[in-house]
Amino acid sequence: MSVDQVRPSANGSAAPSVRPPAGRPAKSRTRHSRRAGRWWTPWLFLAPALILFLYFKFIPMANAITMSFQDVQPYLGNKWVGTDNYATVLTSDGFREAAWHTIVLAVGQTTGCLVLGLALALLMEGQSRRLGVIRSAAFLPVVVPIAVVAELWRIMYHPTGDGMINSLLGLVGSGPSGFINDPHTSMASIMVTGIWRGAPYDMMIFLAGLGSVDRGLYEAAKVDGASRLQRVRYVTIPGLRSVFSILFILAAIRGLRVFTEVFLLTNGGPDGSTEVVMTLIYKLGLEQNRLGVGAAGAVLLFLATLVLTVCVHLFRRRGNE
Amino acid sequence: MNKPWLTGAGILTSAVLLTGCSSSPAGTQAKQNPDAPLELWIRTTPGGPGEAATIKLAGGFEKATGKKVKVTAIFDDFETKLQQRAAQKNLPDIVLNDVTQIGTMHSQGLLREIDLDKIKSSKDITAQGLASGKSVDGKQFGLPYSAQASALMIRKDWREKLGLKAPQTWDEFAAMAKAFTAKDPDGNGKQDTYGLAAPLSTKRGYASWYFSNFLWAAGGDFITESGQGKYKPSMTTPESVKAVQWFRDLGCKDKAIQPGSVTMDTPPTNETFEAGKTGMYVVGPYLIPRFDKSLGKDKYEVVPMPKGPKDATVLAEGGSVYLMAGSDNQAGQDAFADYAVSAEGQKLGMQGTEGYIVQLPVNKTVDISTVRPDPRWKTYSDIYSASGRYAPSIPNWTPVRQTTAETINALVADCGLDTGAKLKELDAKLKAVLEEQGIAAS
Repeated sequence: MSVDQVRPSANGSAAPSVRPPAGRPAKSRTRHSRRAGRWWTPWLFLAPALILFLYFKFIPMANAITMSFQDVQPYLGNKWVGTDNYATVLTSDGFREAAWHTIVLAVGQTTGCLVLGLALALLMEGQSRRLGVIRSAAFLPVVVPIAVVAELWRIMYHPTGDGMINSLLGLVGSGPSGFINDPHTSMASIMVTGIWRGAPYDMMIFLAGLGSVDRGLYEAAKVDGASRLQRVRYVTIPGLRSVFSILFILAAIRGLRVFTEVFLLTNGGPDGSTEVVMTLIYKLGLEQNRLGVGAAGAVLLFLATLVLTVCVHLFRRRGNE
Repeated sequence: MNKPWLTGAGILTSAVLLTGCSSSPAGTQAKQNPDAPLELWIRTTPGGPGEAATIKLAGGFEKATGKKVKVTAIFDDFETKLQQRAAQKNLPDIVLNDVTQIGTMHSQGLLREIDLDKIKSSKDITAQGLASGKSVDGKQFGLPYSAQASALMIRKDWREKLGLKAPQTWDEFAAMAKAFTAKDPDGNGKQDTYGLAAPLSTKRGYASWYFSNFLWAAGGDFITESGQGKYKPSMTTPESVKAVQWFRDLGCKDKAIQPGSVTMDTPPTNETFEAGKTGMYVVGPYLIPRFDKSLGKDKYEVVPMPKGPKDATVLAEGGSVYLMAGSDNQAGQDAFADYAVSAEGQKLGMQGTEGYIVQLPVNKTVDISTVRPDPRWKTYSDIYSASGRYAPSIPNWTPVRQTTAETINALVADCGLDTGAKLKELDAKLKAVLEEQGIAAS
């Protein structure tokens, strides 16, 4: 509320000083700029932030793009190699599989997180004080460092009958499963770990979104004789539309850049069954000390993320129209 | 309309240019100053015992020669940080890093050639140690200062309980692994022990690193030199195939390798040995202090690896002294390298119970038992001299190690795969790697 009230007046004083609207009489412009100070005053205020951005974001990004076209050997001098680095990444053994695995993992984790997150949010919506404790407990996986999460799941995924999850499976008469150690189950196991970690984050955002759904609609639906499931289907989910789209973008970006949990749990193994784009780039670029190749991989991933984000935006805009 | 934008951008650009000018260009031949302090980088944990030991060695060098050394310990992203210094054309004078880094550092032009005539003690270095510091073109670009080799650690109490003797052949090795798996050596009534502890993750090429101890003993090889610095892949030779099959059977048929091995690097594998889940482990001497503390000195023993189909060759590794290019004190660099490999430097580097940087001496005139009376160290030292073999110094060894690790990992993880077909695939990949590095034999 307060932000909305403040914004128009702030715009009113700053914006014209940067770009005076065309066609305004010259006299009024000079008077106006005298009141607002020199034209460069806003730049001066922006300068600290801009310089920081320039040094820590834009220059490194430009460097990475340059490096992606070079054979990087700082001491001898970098050599231009054209698109060789891109060719190395794109034709490397297993790139196509890695790209496919990344998509599978991204789709699986995103769906799992959204579904589980929504379910948790619906279960935990409400004002009761006890719910706060449970919500915090449910949120814990998000704040635990990923290295700890990976170690925890490695223990839970112990591939013999006395392993934690395997002993549970044993109770219902199945298993033992190899989990991350078996090429056939490793991908699903990593996905479950990712969902376990990501779902509570989605839950929190859903909870915030649920608060903004008009209570009156629920009551109206109830009066109309809608069942509980129908209320969720026709009131809650449409009401959470914007939340869904933001979570979808965040999750998709996170999904494409998935690295740490894969690196720590399997490093792309066994038998390359969990190799994703980031672990492949890490191997080709950093472990082999070929920074140009690493940069090329990073640029490719950046482009993919950009395309995805733009697509989701377009899709959303069309949906809104 | 655009003017403010342009000027704003202009201010920022000039700010960038001004700071950009501060790095000074440096030629490859810097002006020499024999009194300039030497800057030394070592890949070890900052503040850890490794750093303290390096400072001690640098202290000994200062006392012997009067030249100053400034030690910097870096562990994470060591290579990247070195690249940053390379970009500034201002490398440290000396780098102590892994032997296998020679190819990468040399091909990046970071190293200067070492003139062995100026290093008096170089004549005392073991033959294979000296060879490990030669680049693919046969020139000396590194000097080993510390060596390691692999030996077999066995749970002594388990072996005695089952009435076995230390294995002398591969058959006995496999039999012991099987017995440790099936015969409940810890006597808890449960089938929860395994023979061999093996880190077979693809991370940093662990699977390949571990398997080299078996591959070489069988007479196989990852790549074979075919003269004039050219190599050809050799994972499909009968010897290599046999070694892979034998090792794979340990895991797939006998189930004698710890479960989960294919996603384990060394830390969790060490834990299986410490926790009494595994009874045999092929590793270097650096784990002795740790296992003495966690497991107890009396619980395990160190024996040489049994003779394989060919011999008892094991993987040798270690650290090398690298003299970096562009130094303004080349005389100082030579002096430090000479001190590090001299009998005095080697003995000083071995002192201490945890904080030592010389694992096994590379200097033939140094008897390890004069510094470390524990006979297990002598065992390791003898194995290194007699059977230690380094990875070849090709321009970049990492891709070879990664690629082979992936195949070994796959073969142990999925027992349904066809060994021959998978190794054929591997050879094709290795050929591509060698071609890319320009060292493939036609």
